[in-house]
Amino acid sequence: MLKHLKIRFLLTLLLTLVADYQLASAQTSDDIFRVDRINALITFVLFSIAILLYIKWAKEGKPLFIRKIAGLDAVEEAVGRATEMGKPVLFIPGIQEIDDIETIAGISILGRVAKITAQYDTPLVVPVRYPMVLAAGQEVVEQAYIEMGKRDSYNRDIVRYVAGEQFAFTATVNGMMMRDRPAANIYMGAFFAESLLLAETGNAAGSIQIAGTARPEQLPFFIAACDYTLMGEELYAASAYLSHEPLMLGGLKGQDLMKVLIVALIIIGVVLVTFGFGDAFRNLFKAV
Amino acid sequence: MNFWDKLGTLDRRWIYLLVALSVIFPLIVPMSFKISITPEARQLFEAVDALPDSSVVMLTFDYYPSTVAETEPMATAALHHLFRKDCKVVTMTTIPLGGPSMAERVTRTIARKYNKVYGTDFVNLGYKANWVAVLKGMGTSIEAIYPADNSGAPLSELPLMATVKNYHDVSFIFVVADNDIVQNWVSIVNAQYGTPIGAGVTAVGAPKYYAFVGSGQLTGLLGGMKGAAEYELLADARGLAEKGMGMQSLAHLVIILMVIVGNIAFFAGRWSQKGKVR
Amino acid sequence: MRTIVPVIVAFLAGFVMIISFFFNPERTFFGRIESEVLVWVTIVGGFTLLLGVVSITRVNWHAVRIKKEGWVYNLLTLLSIFVMAIPAILPASWSQLFGDAEGSIYDWLFFHVDYPMMATMFAMLAFYIASAAYRAFRARNPEATLLLVTATLVMLWRIPMGEAFLIQVGDTLLFGYNLPESINTYIMNGANLAVQRGILIGAALGAASMSLRIMLGIERTYMGKG
Repeated sequence: MLKHLKIRFLLTLLLTLVADYQLASAQTSDDIFRVDRINALITFVLFSIAILLYIKWAKEGKPLFIRKIAGLDAVEEAVGRATEMGKPVLFIPGIQEIDDIETIAGISILGRVAKITAQYDTPLVVPVRYPMVLAAGQEVVEQAYIEMGKRDSYNRDIVRYVAGEQFAFTATVNGMMMRDRPAANIYMGAFFAESLLLAETGNAAGSIQIAGTARPEQLPFFIAACDYTLMGEELYAASAYLSHEPLMLGGLKGQDLMKVLIVALIIIGVVLVTFGFGDAFRNLFKAV
Repeated sequence: MNFWDKLGTLDRRWIYLLVALSVIFPLIVPMSFKISITPEARQLFEAVDALPDSSVVMLTFDYYPSTVAETEPMATAALHHLFRKDCKVVTMTTIPLGGPSMAERVTRTIARKYNKVYGTDFVNLGYKANWVAVLKGMGTSIEAIYPADNSGAPLSELPLMATVKNYHDVSFIFVVADNDIVQNWVSIVNAQYGTPIGAGVTAVGAPKYYAFVGSGQLTGLLGGMKGAAEYELLADARGLAEKGMGMQSLAHLVIILMVIVGNIAFFAGRWSQKGKVR
Repeated sequence: MRTIVPVIVAFLAGFVMIISFFFNPERTFFGRIESEVLVWVTIVGGFTLLLGVVSITRVNWHAVRIKKEGWVYNLLTLLSIFVMAIPAILPASWSQLFGDAEGSIYDWLFFHVDYPMMATMFAMLAFYIASAAYRAFRARNPEATLLLVTATLVMLWRIPMGEAFLIQVGDTLLFGYNLPESINTYIMNGANLAVQRGILIGAALGAASMSLRIMLGIERTYMGKG
């Protein structure tokens, strides 16, 4: 049944691609519908179908395999280390505002980490840069402590607003690291130039460090200075990985299916371009 | 702990001292080097140079004060190039912290050297919140997003803006940035409106944008202080970037030396441990 | 209500923007929605900046009032905000010191205090990268060796004397092979380009998936719900 559905899915894709090419070349400015953007519409529809399909299968109890992500497996180990040493866990959900998708991913992971720290009664410190992130962070951590039955251990100051400016934030957090010597530092979200300043200071303070960001330019600094690094989409997968919720896992698998499709299209494109038939294929993906 | 272990775990303050000396030395003993031009920098220069005189170019000051050492020389060299070609320059920024002030100061300082008139030869649009809305909105109407310029003068009163309504009236966009905004300029502006875009970015961000140059979405790329020095050389506007290459060169050499020393200590320490075990 | 309304708003906001992307703005109302909403977003964005100032003031004032540990720094933060903001908001027609033009208090504070402080913090990276490189760039295994060799070659390539050294090595040991050009072609425009594209595609898909989950109400952690 699964194989049958996949074949139908791929055949639909092929037919719509052919139709798309013919339609796209016929766009006039009088048209109501932007047919020159139909390739984007098809991609969006396919992407949505892939995610919803996998969510449906996940809800039905179909086992979904996700490979091990060492950095996320190390989170519990890091919290355990902090508990043994009697030192806090420092968590930074990135330095961007709440409307940044990486910050949302970071806040989502914070919820999971807060459950673990609540379970082990490990002190948790979450410095944030923006008031809206402060509000979201406090809600998420409070909820986590309530769910673990540790409402009394929750303290509003776990998530604290530090400073609004990038390097003022960094300087303050560096000071906190050198004074409090957290046993574990977890950086999950959007980071910029301060990534190395934070990670190197954390290293000097002797903390175990786990970082995750979707910014490729900051990855080398985290890789050099941290013990574990989550790269790119592993950050977005983290929430699903830690929770093992079917809805989240389904979304993750759906996105993987799209990646497989992209790889297949790249291979087809490379072959066609090599033999001189690439122009028509390339036009199918023209962005407008 | 033997000598090699001590060397391998050298106190980081010695490293900081060496780096500090490598940066201070060229200030005392000025150094100059022959700068070679990368294909990406040349591509950007040639794209701007090929623009007809009096073309409208949008120059963005999308960088924070923290990265001025790398990015401001790019903006400065670009302005020299554009004003020399008699291009009309529209500056704007997506950085609220000092972006409009830096754009104002840098542009006016250089404009004075070429006797350029504000409102006719150049305009500073300033900053508006939410860059997605700004980048997309300017595709339809710049005046809808910026009813007035940075100093509050209505756009309708500026002669230059009478002919620049949206991206279709802009021949080239020169983005100078220290953050991800370049990606958004490409995906929102270049992809949807077709306006050619060239970028000057920090050295940290440059590797990411080679992909965009390779696919033709970016017309040229300047990376870091070296990229700024290359453009200064090409545009015949020698400035701070070229002077800074001496410091950058020595600092890089110090880091490479420390990496070599660290590896020697690592391997020598391992061999001496193996010797002890035997 | 506290859960349902934000989910509905998130769905409608995302859905409307997606739909309007596919309609002609010259012929349809749907196509024009996008540009209208973007203007609204710019206005709302301005108010969120104001909200940020109010929140910062509230948080710091609370710390000063209860004399929290390090309250002096909170007081300094409040003073800095108002010393810079108030003269900038006042009309420049009242005095040359007001507004944000050259010669104003705001302009002076920005260029003489903020500007050098930010540049100094960023400059510290040079020291930190040196110590991180010293510690991390060790040939412990094949991957670390590859990292070490690539980093060294690129560091040499980016400086004029390093480039001259590489050209010399190419001329004397590699029969005139142009090493700097090879680094640009095979490392920067080869391996680096491919890897960056892979990470960008992956991250973009991840972000799109997360956005879709937020729109459909599956991902609600940003609201504080697990």
